[in-house]
Amino acid sequence: MTPRTLRSLLAVTAAATLVSLTGCAAGDSGTPAGENVIGQPGDTNISGTVTFWHAYSVDSNEVKTLREVLIPRFNETYPNVTVEDVAIPWDELHKKLITGVAGDVLPDLVRADLAWVPEMANLGVLEPLSQTMPDFQQLADTTYPGVLETNRWKGEYYGLPLDTNTRVLMYNSEALAAAGVDAPPATVEELKAIAPKLKAAGSFVFADNGASGWNILPWIWSAGGDITDPDVTKASGYLDSAASVAGVQTWVDLYQGGFMPDIVLGDSGGLSTSDGLAQGKYATIMDGPWMWPIFGSQYPDFELKAAPVPAGAGGSISVVGGEDIVLTKSSKNKAAAAEFLRFLLSEEAQYEFAKIGQMSVLKSLAPRLTEINDFYHHFTSQLEKAKNRPATPAWSQIDSILQDEVRAAIRGEKTVQEALSSAAKQADALLAKYAG
Amino acid sequence: MTATVPPVPRAAAAAGWKPTASSRRSTLAPWAFILPGFIIYAVVMLYPAVQTLNMSLHEWSIVPGADSPWIGLDNYFRAFNDPEFITSLVNAGVYTAVTVPIQMAIGLGLALLLNDHLPGRTLFRVLFYLPVVTSWVVVSLLFQFIFSSSAEGLANSLLIDVLHVADEPTSFFLNRWTAYIAICALGIWKGLGWSMLIFLAALTAVPKELHEAAALDGANAWQRFRNVSLPAIRSAVATVFILLVIGGFNVFISVMLMTGGENDTHVPLTMMYEQGFRFFDFGYGSAISFSLTIIVLGLSAFQYWWTKRKTKL
Amino acid sequence: MLIVRAVRYTILTIATVILVYPFIFMVSVSFRSRSTSLGNPFEIMPSEPTLNNYERVLNEENFGLYAFNSAFVAIVSTFLIVLLSSMMAFGLTRFQFKGRRIVMTAIIAGLTIPTMMLIIPQFLLARDLQLLNSLPGLIPFYVGTALGFNTFLLCGFFEGIPAELDEAMIIDGAGAWRRYFNLALPLAKPALATTVIFAFLGTWDEFAWALTVINDEKQRTLPIAIALFQGQHSTSWGLVFAASLLALIPVLIVYIVFQRFFVAGIASGALKS
Repeated sequence: MTPRTLRSLLAVTAAATLVSLTGCAAGDSGTPAGENVIGQPGDTNISGTVTFWHAYSVDSNEVKTLREVLIPRFNETYPNVTVEDVAIPWDELHKKLITGVAGDVLPDLVRADLAWVPEMANLGVLEPLSQTMPDFQQLADTTYPGVLETNRWKGEYYGLPLDTNTRVLMYNSEALAAAGVDAPPATVEELKAIAPKLKAAGSFVFADNGASGWNILPWIWSAGGDITDPDVTKASGYLDSAASVAGVQTWVDLYQGGFMPDIVLGDSGGLSTSDGLAQGKYATIMDGPWMWPIFGSQYPDFELKAAPVPAGAGGSISVVGGEDIVLTKSSKNKAAAAEFLRFLLSEEAQYEFAKIGQMSVLKSLAPRLTEINDFYHHFTSQLEKAKNRPATPAWSQIDSILQDEVRAAIRGEKTVQEALSSAAKQADALLAKYAG
Repeated sequence: MTATVPPVPRAAAAAGWKPTASSRRSTLAPWAFILPGFIIYAVVMLYPAVQTLNMSLHEWSIVPGADSPWIGLDNYFRAFNDPEFITSLVNAGVYTAVTVPIQMAIGLGLALLLNDHLPGRTLFRVLFYLPVVTSWVVVSLLFQFIFSSSAEGLANSLLIDVLHVADEPTSFFLNRWTAYIAICALGIWKGLGWSMLIFLAALTAVPKELHEAAALDGANAWQRFRNVSLPAIRSAVATVFILLVIGGFNVFISVMLMTGGENDTHVPLTMMYEQGFRFFDFGYGSAISFSLTIIVLGLSAFQYWWTKRKTKL
Repeated sequence: MLIVRAVRYTILTIATVILVYPFIFMVSVSFRSRSTSLGNPFEIMPSEPTLNNYERVLNEENFGLYAFNSAFVAIVSTFLIVLLSSMMAFGLTRFQFKGRRIVMTAIIAGLTIPTMMLIIPQFLLARDLQLLNSLPGLIPFYVGTALGFNTFLLCGFFEGIPAELDEAMIIDGAGAWRRYFNLALPLAKPALATTVIFAFLGTWDEFAWALTVINDEKQRTLPIAIALFQGQHSTSWGLVFAASLLALIPVLIVYIVFQRFFVAGIASGALKS
């Protein structure tokens, strides 16, 4: 047994020990009532303080909605629960969670990035809601399955989706018109065909600011390729398949032809995708729903338009983003925290958040979203055809490797096949670590 | 009764301490001065440092209570065989070699210019210190902006329109060495005021009488600088040099904010951060930073020995 | 003579432009209403200047509280740092004793340790000492991490004070503390001023540790508050710059006040007494 497998095994054993110590094992008939367990919903007598970490910036609409609308509304039903929300800068939140894990000092609830959930679940610090929350399945069924899967690790679910988003193609119709193109490209082939025309008219056909999963996966998936097998155990045979290679090859061809700007290699100091689109230097980019208010305030004269991701052999498939909400095992107020969690997943709370730009994870709200903001429909329809990035603690490293290899291919330092095969091999080794 | 004050020239020559019988008597006195500070220092810095060393010798798991198997020096062997680590060391070395002499030379120059009476001196001193006090986040953003890849960026405009040394705009951050031009420029710009400050303090500790005596002897400004100012601030120069070299090898935040270590621009500490906080391998991360510490310690010790050697001659 | 002056001013002006331009640009952006991107580097005068960013920063609930928190921690820490590091430097340079080399080595060794590396053990230490989530709890950590550098700096300065002066006072019957207060401290005024400036700047601006340890909003310090003006997807830099500029004011005040000590003649004046 390798030291790493041993370590993982011991981590899981330690986690299991922790679980039994906190008495949160589901179906444990020996647990006396009143212990720190998640109860049935609706117990309005619950009391306690719930700390909730998030990364909403100060003075933002999200924080205002949370503090002025949602928490007071929650307190109408649960007057004895105090919800303390703590804002932590997004760039630092992950680091603070890790330090918290090491020091065993974590909050009750966290609004976590999708990629963090398998990581933290693997570290044993998250409550397995599918086991310990009595109404988990009902709540889970209200959410989009794709987003729900981001909470899954080793057969259990360690959180619930909170908000979601995806990337769609955003375009500058004037830049397209200047090159004689009257509609955004619906397929990858069309995009490649109009590229030279746009270059002649002075713009890049497409721009993106990196080559990590978030950036390149829509292209790989739309070409019919993938990163790993469905069980996320290996990447060879998937990441280096002909379809995946074709997807990445599109980017390499575009860059080498001068149809894609070099910010894909690193966006420090470069013209950002949003600025470039508004200025007409980039004809199309891909981005999420948050861009509407941003464009609205920064470039009020520019009319932002969107279209589905250009389709390849595999269809028009985008990448799922968003945040999940997780409950920590070390929480001392699980019952109260769970109630707040349920509240945040209620139609009422999700609708309030949708009003200020956070797309809901509830299937039932989809029809109503467009009455809030017309532009949501691009995203709700794309979400039906969007996939998750592999849910594994190794993802952060695999993502980094993927970006380095794709960039090497773009630079012409290796062929796409070489780059992806190398990435797949390294990913296999990392995935094997967690397979035990 | 006033204490006999030695004549001033001798005071200047007597840099450094000579033990005498009377001061050797009080062996407890020094500890009264040293212990309060040293205890806090030891608890807050040295003890955690030892723990970090310990972490580097294990395959450390951040979950409290989980087992962290002992692997001895494996992390260190791994580091020195890791091309990324070697690259990061080279980057840190180059950064130090470039920024330290320039910072010291310009800092000293500015301090000399602002040492004598000059109308507006205080204003200049404040202005030159502004970069030092501005936050790294803001300053890194501004420098990314200055070194922007577009032809309208400040650096590119300078290269293309003013100096005529380039035809095309350079994407500074996409290439290891051009990125380091920007990173070094940032480091020098931000650190100048810091060295200037220390040199100012050292220069003003030189008693005016020494300058006056030398002037009376007929020395011009350059001679006064060489024979009066320079020897008196030798200690400050050595101090600044050691501190800047240590700071140079330990460069972290500017690289983190400017490139995040992408495109081969990692320095040891950004690597350590990535290994620890992104990949959860704190054992390896600690080994990387300890390797760096040992290298820097070796360099500092060498430097210290070198300056001591020079003063003995 | 005039030529020398002119040359001096020319050099100083060039240096000023280079060193101050980014700062001026920062001020300019802070008066812009739309600032998620920085625009043209040569556009110093904003087209529609507005005080909006400053209003939002100052109206931000608790901004004054955060400033007060930072001030409290910075002032107390600075005082302790100056006191303890000058004491240590005095002890290390004015005496010869067993163990001196060990202490000196420990301090120099500590200088080479990057504090970033120590975050997790320090976090566990803070937790065990019950100093988590506490504003005063920041002080021991700030003091401990600054002592190495400042002691080293002051040692360099103290070494330049001639031993004969000590001996003269010892002959007079002065004890160690008198020598500390009446000899070392007055002579090292420029050096101490430097220490005050650095210590205050370091603690006022400190971000990483405060963020790691403090959760309670009421105990937050200013740098964290400023970082929170940044968003997950986009940031209005004008807002961040306005906040940063306001946060700069105390640091500049401390600097202006203490750089007065960088005047030649203060040292020699003390020698005469």
